Amino acid sequence: MKRRNFFWLLKCSLVLLLLLQLTGCWSSKEIEELGLVAGTALDLEKKADLSEEVEGHEERYPNRVMITITNQLITSQTTESGKKTGAPQQKSFKNVSETGDSILPVLRKMILKIDKRAFAQHSKVIVIGEDLTRTLNLQQILDFFLREQEMRLSGQILIAKNNAKKTLESQETSVIPAFHLFQITKSQERTTKILPPLSLAKVMGKLHSGSSFLVQTVVSEKGEVKFAGAAVIKGKTKKLLGFLNEKELEGIVWLTGKGKGGVVKSFDKATSQPIIYEIKSMKSKIQPRIVNNNISFDVKIESEGSIAEHWVPSGKPFENEFLKKAEKTTEKEVESLVKNVLVKTQQNYRVDVAGFGNRLRIEYPRVWEKVKQDWDHTFSKIPIKYNVNLTVKDYGTSGSN
Amino acid sequence: MKRRKIEIKLSQQQQQQTSQIEKQPETAKVPFTGNITIDLDQVRKELGHNSDVGFREFFLGNTGIRASIIFLYGLTDKELINKYILKSLMTNFPERHEHREVSLKEFITNQALTISDLTEVNNLYDTVSKILTGNTALLVDGIQEVIILGTTKEKARNIEEPVSEALVRGPRIGFTETLSDNTAILRQHGCNHNLSIIQIQVGARSKKELVIAFINDIADPALVDEVKERIKTINIDDLPESGYVEQLIEDNYLSPFPQVQNTERPDRVFSALMEGKIAILLDGSPFALIVPVTFSMLLQSPEDYYERWIPGSLIRLLRFLAAILSLFAPSMYIAFISFHPGLIPTKLALSIISSREGVPFPALIEALIMEISIEILREAGLRLPKPIGPAMGIVGGLIIGEAAVQAGIISPIMVIVVSITAISSFAIPQYSAGITLRILRFVAMFCAAVFGLYGIILFFLLLCSHLVKLKSFGVPYVSPAVPYRISDWKDFILRMPLFMMKRRPKMLHTRDSNRKG
Repeated sequence: MKRRNFFWLLKCSLVLLLLLQLTGCWSSKEIEELGLVAGTALDLEKKADLSEEVEGHEERYPNRVMITITNQLITSQTTESGKKTGAPQQKSFKNVSETGDSILPVLRKMILKIDKRAFAQHSKVIVIGEDLTRTLNLQQILDFFLREQEMRLSGQILIAKNNAKKTLESQETSVIPAFHLFQITKSQERTTKILPPLSLAKVMGKLHSGSSFLVQTVVSEKGEVKFAGAAVIKGKTKKLLGFLNEKELEGIVWLTGKGKGGVVKSFDKATSQPIIYEIKSMKSKIQPRIVNNNISFDVKIESEGSIAEHWVPSGKPFENEFLKKAEKTTEKEVESLVKNVLVKTQQNYRVDVAGFGNRLRIEYPRVWEKVKQDWDHTFSKIPIKYNVNLTVKDYGTSGSN
Repeated sequence: MKRRKIEIKLSQQQQQQTSQIEKQPETAKVPFTGNITIDLDQVRKELGHNSDVGFREFFLGNTGIRASIIFLYGLTDKELINKYILKSLMTNFPERHEHREVSLKEFITNQALTISDLTEVNNLYDTVSKILTGNTALLVDGIQEVIILGTTKEKARNIEEPVSEALVRGPRIGFTETLSDNTAILRQHGCNHNLSIIQIQVGARSKKELVIAFINDIADPALVDEVKERIKTINIDDLPESGYVEQLIEDNYLSPFPQVQNTERPDRVFSALMEGKIAILLDGSPFALIVPVTFSMLLQSPEDYYERWIPGSLIRLLRFLAAILSLFAPSMYIAFISFHPGLIPTKLALSIISSREGVPFPALIEALIMEISIEILREAGLRLPKPIGPAMGIVGGLIIGEAAVQAGIISPIMVIVVSITAISSFAIPQYSAGITLRILRFVAMFCAAVFGLYGIILFFLLLCSHLVKLKSFGVPYVSPAVPYRISDWKDFILRMPLFMMKRRPKMLHTRDSNRKG
């Protein structure tokens, strides 16, 4: 009996083994046969006639906006040991561009050019060109990326001044520009000139809520990329409205209290020498107030920090007097930053990008229901009071001078 | 139908064969006549052709009564025979033995022979089998019974440190091939009047002594009966090693998991006995068997208890990790490389991509090449004479591994994975458990190659369902995890401080559950 049982089991397991073989290597993708997409750049193609092979059915809609997509691929050939020794130094990435009027068909067109399967799960950044966001709705541009399963929602969104494709290029052979950009978005801890990272997951929510928001801007100058200010996306149209420069961006960071670190440079009045205040912590509270159906906001900004550097010859950090003075001048500086950006957003762009609307929605939901339809417009006329309170906690390891 | 007939025939033949083996003694169990000439001839017929059997005929003192001793050269203690048997029977035998009150036989056994181990048999078969185990048979004219004198000189090696289970801290004593030595070690260790050592003879052709040891007032009587029952069903001509016993009494012969634990360490055996387990020792094997066994026992080492509880627990955790690694590391590698490149951290993915550039094989083949060659290496290193062993490791491990990477057949990361796997499989204290994981590793690799991580999970579920079903002598194999018994978890993944382990494991249904006051 035992023996029969054994043979029966043996046969069964053999059949099972054969069955397993039938599936082959189901949905297997060997890693060396992939081209990792490190980043994607989307640009508006101005010379639409450049794309020679416009397919028949596309000609029926002649006025379509043409998009150029650049994928930054890393393949086994471009990586360090994949390069043949002795050959001239190759770049560690490969940029492939294609043009068309929608995203996926263009990406599929790239297959004709590359030998590897593009694999987007490691994609870190999507850089969108300024022109494209001015002409096209951001929702439409990003629809594919938000829909595609292979895209990680942790990928960052950036908007490039001028050309997005150029931001994915680099003179240095060992640097992968997409990863480079991604790393810079993380340095928000030490400067207030960078917005908190805006991932695909976050942008999805912002697009759906219909509120205006900011996207980090990146500029490519002489082969160097640099984070410079922020792009204002208007909630209604979901298109680019304009840019905030670095100073204004700092104002926004102070307003929202989202900064984690950075410095504020102010000048001592008497000697006009700089005092540099290093931010240790930052807090802001936006308090909406309603008096007789008039909405107003109080913003209370608090921060603790230290004196990192000061050139004032008479300044003695041991003395509270000097510290108070330093606090005062720095507060002034922050106030001017905030004021600056409020003027810009309320009067020039007439959008709310600092989350005032959100605070109103939380505190006074009924009022918000009434005003939310035309919030950006309403916002531009709302009085905002702000109060900055800084505390110098220490002055580093040096008390003299 | 036809096949079934053949099978029936086969089983009938087997039955006939076994009955033949058993019948042999029946025909030979003829009592002796008491006439030394006839009886000696009978023995001579049975054993006389063997060169190692000695016959020595003599007279009892000056009485003129013929006597003879039969013994095996080599197996018997010659000094004992000369000094205490022949001398007392030949020179020291009183001339007037006719003390009327006692018969000759009683006089010889009770007064003449100064030998402790003495029995009587009265047929040829028993006599021969006693002689062959090293006893000396004494035939005296006029006495129907044969007096068997225990003169066995055991061929034993010294008690040495166990080779297969080395410890940093712990007794340096190991079992040997001699059963009496082994039981003596247990006795010495225990000094416990409740330690029962029960002898059972096994083997149809060559009789072997087998010992079941347990603590009387701890072990579950049902378990003891079950073990005895299973050992009695052993019907095989010879048992060269306790591995035979293990295979003949285990619960599930199809399972890759060992259901009986073997050990060379008396301390391990004794602590198992104290938990209510049962040890089985076979003559001729230095490996004692412990039943029942659970999976966690195979990942435990006596040192866990000898060290303080914090290092003991951590090292035990480490071993669980090593078991998981040695089971799943190559299959995880395959799954990640060929199915889920998105789950690898980006920088690692980049370095894997660059290291796999130019490797001509898919991940499975690559892993198989390396895993099989490392298994061959290990097997080869095991059988090689000791001086050549390390050279083997250098040639195999360093040269082949390095060369394979340089030649571009294997990626360097694969070499790392394989070596991590090999090292972690060495960290498993039980050799038999290590083998199990080595076998299952290959199954996991195939599952990973077909379905990726999903396949590994399927394989794991399959393994779990098998383990949950498996029992060793009525004790669930993965207890105390399934069935869940929180009180037994004190000595499972972690080894709790001794003061907390007041009771014996409940899964063994011990008669006395208190370990500590």
